[in-house]
Amino acid sequence: MFNLKLSIFSGTRELEDKIDEMHDQVIESVLAFQNAFEIYLEEKRSPKYRRVSKKIKHIEAKADDLRREIESRLYIHNLIPDLRADVLQMVENIDKVINEFDEVAHKFYIEQPDIPEKYRSKFCKLVKEVSACAENMAIASRAFFRDFTTVRDYSRKVYFLEQESDKTWAELKQEVFDSDMELAHKIQLNTLIGDVADIADKAEDCIDALLIFTIKRDI
Amino acid sequence: MDLSYLFYLSSGLFLGWSLGANDAANIFGTAVGSKMVRFSTIAAVACIFVIIGAVFGGSGTSKTLGALGSVNALAGAFMVALSAALAVYMMLRAGLTVSTSQAIVGAIVGWNVYADKPTDYTTLLEIIGTWTTCPLLAGIVAVVLYLCLKKLQKCSSMHLLMRDQITRFGLVITAAVGAYALGANNIANVVGVFMQSCPFKSLHLGNILTLDPYQVLFLLGAIAICTGVWTYSHKVIKTVGNSLMRMSPAVALIIVLSQSVVLLLFSSVSLHDWLEASSLPAIPLVPVSSTQAVIGAVIGIGLIKGGRGLNWSIIGKIVAGWITAPLMAMLICFICLFFLENVFNQTVFLP
Repeated sequence: MFNLKLSIFSGTRELEDKIDEMHDQVIESVLAFQNAFEIYLEEKRSPKYRRVSKKIKHIEAKADDLRREIESRLYIHNLIPDLRADVLQMVENIDKVINEFDEVAHKFYIEQPDIPEKYRSKFCKLVKEVSACAENMAIASRAFFRDFTTVRDYSRKVYFLEQESDKTWAELKQEVFDSDMELAHKIQLNTLIGDVADIADKAEDCIDALLIFTIKRDI
Repeated sequence: MDLSYLFYLSSGLFLGWSLGANDAANIFGTAVGSKMVRFSTIAAVACIFVIIGAVFGGSGTSKTLGALGSVNALAGAFMVALSAALAVYMMLRAGLTVSTSQAIVGAIVGWNVYADKPTDYTTLLEIIGTWTTCPLLAGIVAVVLYLCLKKLQKCSSMHLLMRDQITRFGLVITAAVGAYALGANNIANVVGVFMQSCPFKSLHLGNILTLDPYQVLFLLGAIAICTGVWTYSHKVIKTVGNSLMRMSPAVALIIVLSQSVVLLLFSSVSLHDWLEASSLPAIPLVPVSSTQAVIGAVIGIGLIKGGRGLNWSIIGKIVAGWITAPLMAMLICFICLFFLENVFNQTVFLP
């Protein structure tokens, strides 16, 4: 007669796992992206790079599936009605970061930019900073579901790393335009540097929203 | 049984209906409003427990109300209940959630004044005293529970989704406790004034259960409350909703729990007897207002959170209603008793 929802904990555990898996995808995409960049610097568009790039694409596709599944489960089981919109936005933000990794890796594959030796160390620094930024964002976001203090701690780290990546991006950009390279080459490198730096911006956007959700979640 | 009794009782049942419509919002309004629990589920649970509370725990508060004024004529009891119901209805129309407890007290005093009967001022003061202690106590209980929950939240690393499910489960449980407390405490408001002229016989339900005549009367009152819960409380919930303060499901749970605890304290005969036996100050068995308890709890939590989220203008209006409602019920009762006696030639009191 009445759906008393006696199985009140059913579905919750599975959804918890899905959300955890979504965060795992960020960490995996970070590692794969760093790996891809190292390979690119050594071998440019090699079959090895192609494999890693495909791996990132695969992670991105999996994250999309997870996002859709989390969204539908939240609605089907009518879970966390007061925070549902926030959690959905959070999952979408995480997905955007993963998409960005995929797009940048694919852009390297298509455009095959030539990165002169003198810019490589700074480029590597930028990649490490944005990767760390995304990684810390994933930790903070995962903590949102269990522990507020950790959210704040890792959010600070993300903000710091994003600022560092901005500095590196500005320096690199200036060095590229001060060089004797062809204008087309300069523009191509500048666009790519900007795309890499955008990953950190996306992670920062995630954290901005996350901190507001944390305040809302406080009873 | 005289059929006219049922006609006279109808005003009490009408009061029961408005109590169900009004007070159910206090018990599970936020749970339904925040979409944590389905209305049909929680209303069914609430109805079952209102009946159990009224039939098996309603005697204590009814005696106190009887001591305030022994409405000894059926037509008088009819008018007392009707005036209280009308006062509640008018206040609801004005957009204020009011207390049936206060309305019925006002109406009984109105009857006492009309019938020139002495009002038991000790009981009256005891009842009026609870209008202050009830919200105060609910506020204190809510603050203590809130601080405990906050501490627990800091220590536990339970997943948000699991916490949500436990809160949902807790809302249903507290709604059940709240409904039991409402039935036990407030049934006196609905049919208390008809106890003097109760014509029912004991009701045997198989060999297991026997309801005495008063319990049969309480059962009828409880059914009227349930009708109010089913037919109108959803609308009240939609209107009242989160107007006092925006609250999370966890806070909603605390508020309902505090209200239930307070209502139980004021209606538990065994606790009252135990405190008296232990030479401790006993909590009076008085029908208190669930609305007052809820508002006390909301203000308590609002203040501990810094007071910024509270809608003081609405709270002010509601508190003003606590003074207006009993006065209005008293006045309506006095005027209507005059008409009932002189125009319709009914005996509204026995000398």
